[in-house]
Amino acid sequence: MADILRGRARSRQGLFVGWIRALTPANSWPALAGLLVFAAMLALQQLIEPGTQRLLTSVFLFVALAQAWNIIGGYTGYASFGQVAFFGLGAYTVAVLMNNYHVSFWAALPLAVLVGVVFAVAIGLPLLRLRGHYFAIATLGAAEGAREVINNLTSVTGGGGGITIPTFGSDAPTPYFGKPGFYLAFLVLAAVSVVVAAVLARSRFGYAMVAVHEDEDAAGAVGINTTVVKVVAFGVSAAIVACAGAFYAFQQIEFYPTDVFDASFTVLMVIMVMIGGSGSVVGPLAGAVGLQLLSQFLRVNLGNFNQLIFGAIIVLVVVFFPQGVVTYLRDAWRTRHFSILDNVRRYRL
Amino acid sequence: MSQFLQAAAYGVVQGGLLGLVAVGFSLVWGVMNVVNFSHGALAVTGAYVAWVLNVRFGLDPFLAIPVVAIALFAFGYVVQRGLINLVINAPIFLTLLLTFGLNLVILNGLQLLFKADDRTIDTSYASQSFAIGAVNVPYGRLAACFLALGITVALALLMSRTRLGHAIGATGMDRGAARLMGIRARHIYAVTFGIAAALAGVAGTMIATVGSFNPTTTPGQLTLDAFVISVLGGLGNMYGALVGGLVLGIAESLGGLLLTGTWVNAIAMAVLIVTLIIRPSGLIGKALYSGRVEV
Repeated sequence: MADILRGRARSRQGLFVGWIRALTPANSWPALAGLLVFAAMLALQQLIEPGTQRLLTSVFLFVALAQAWNIIGGYTGYASFGQVAFFGLGAYTVAVLMNNYHVSFWAALPLAVLVGVVFAVAIGLPLLRLRGHYFAIATLGAAEGAREVINNLTSVTGGGGGITIPTFGSDAPTPYFGKPGFYLAFLVLAAVSVVVAAVLARSRFGYAMVAVHEDEDAAGAVGINTTVVKVVAFGVSAAIVACAGAFYAFQQIEFYPTDVFDASFTVLMVIMVMIGGSGSVVGPLAGAVGLQLLSQFLRVNLGNFNQLIFGAIIVLVVVFFPQGVVTYLRDAWRTRHFSILDNVRRYRL
Repeated sequence: MSQFLQAAAYGVVQGGLLGLVAVGFSLVWGVMNVVNFSHGALAVTGAYVAWVLNVRFGLDPFLAIPVVAIALFAFGYVVQRGLINLVINAPIFLTLLLTFGLNLVILNGLQLLFKADDRTIDTSYASQSFAIGAVNVPYGRLAACFLALGITVALALLMSRTRLGHAIGATGMDRGAARLMGIRARHIYAVTFGIAAALAGVAGTMIATVGSFNPTTTPGQLTLDAFVISVLGGLGNMYGALVGGLVLGIAESLGGLLLTGTWVNAIAMAVLIVTLIIRPSGLIGKALYSGRVEV
């Protein structure tokens, strides 16, 4: 296990020293660009009004969720339709601990992540044996089931009546962050998820995930413990999603099981990854930013028609860029071949 | 005891109806490997067609069924031929994404046309019932259940006895070989999706007659039910959806009697997951499509 995670930096200096030594201008520019974007986002916060801050906060949330889904769905090839279960469990862990037991948010956060990971391992061990649609539906069922359990444990979770986190006065275990605080929190969360995805993708473990995706039997035959790879990938993904759910819960203050177990969260994660381009770090990032900005723009400007247009855009993107927009642009740039018609022909019957 | 029998009877008639919702979904999934997210939306579209015919022309919903079926078949044929066929060779989740987008377009289109209100098709007989002992059986639901049975049997006969059915089955098993035998796969896929859409429309009409529907919550619930039933019953067998529907219908109505709150939904999901783990080919499904070759 440790051997898989150690990655390519198997030098005597250990993980990070080896990495830093291996950096050259050619391979370190994505990291520098990422740092620049992060710094720019920090600076931008001082310039924008609260409404825009709120919009960008939701963009950061979806960047983290899309990166998390990409680890299990994009790299490992197991399209989970139940990721929202970890979101909801993270949210409810924080809310229950803060509301019922007056635990501070910072103490509840790691527990929320732990609950998400434990649930992921518990359902992952049996369900990750299923492939294709069957895995998707089993995880969808697991998420629906988790929601119903939370919904019916009324004495602990408040059931369908919802739950409220105390945020003001002496009653509050942790003071409310406010809009600027949550902007920062979700920005850091998005950055951490991008870094986790990028580091994983370039590690030995990342290659193992791709190998499982490409051909699981062959991956097993060359000595990859596919069960460990799949469960760990599922667990890492769940940890990010649960963490996002914990912050989301605190941000919302009051919410219902139907809010934080809403299957449309899962669907949006999948769509953002697919439209951006799965199996890369930039794809989900671009997909999340683009789609969230687009959907909010449509909501503001088109009123009742916004969902109709949103659906039509998804259909058109799937038909014209079936491999994802970022993947298309990258391949087109490399091969100097920009024909969109060939793109449409690719998967045609 | 009578309460128990009543719940069982209700479960059976409800299950037949749910089976009719799922049979088209299962067909498309089995033959084309497409999980159709817009299936519930197609059912509700059929319900609206029948509702408009009923409100404008006073047409009885059972008489409206042929019109609904033809309209939805045409719609389904065009959607498959012009849209889904374009990405049919893509990784499975792309088709899912496409039907999700389609689902949004249909639902919001319906909502703009008809508002988000709950609708129902009123008939003089749907709410009346007759009694066997202490058990009340509503006419509308019974008729819908028999219709579901009849259509499922007809579909099974179509698949096993006609050239069209054989062509659909062959294309589902090995598209490359089927095309070498002169089967036009594009057309066959479009016909398959058309049949599924027509069946969904008929099911939607029945749901509108025995209960109520709206464009916001009904489609998602129907698609999820179709999911569960298809997995329970297994793909590649026309009677699978019917069996799955009956199991789900009876389990839900008996569960509703015995359990408080919405625990019954949690139980249904647990049953689904356990079925998937123990017997992924479904209760009566066989691994007909497991040796599928995609060319």
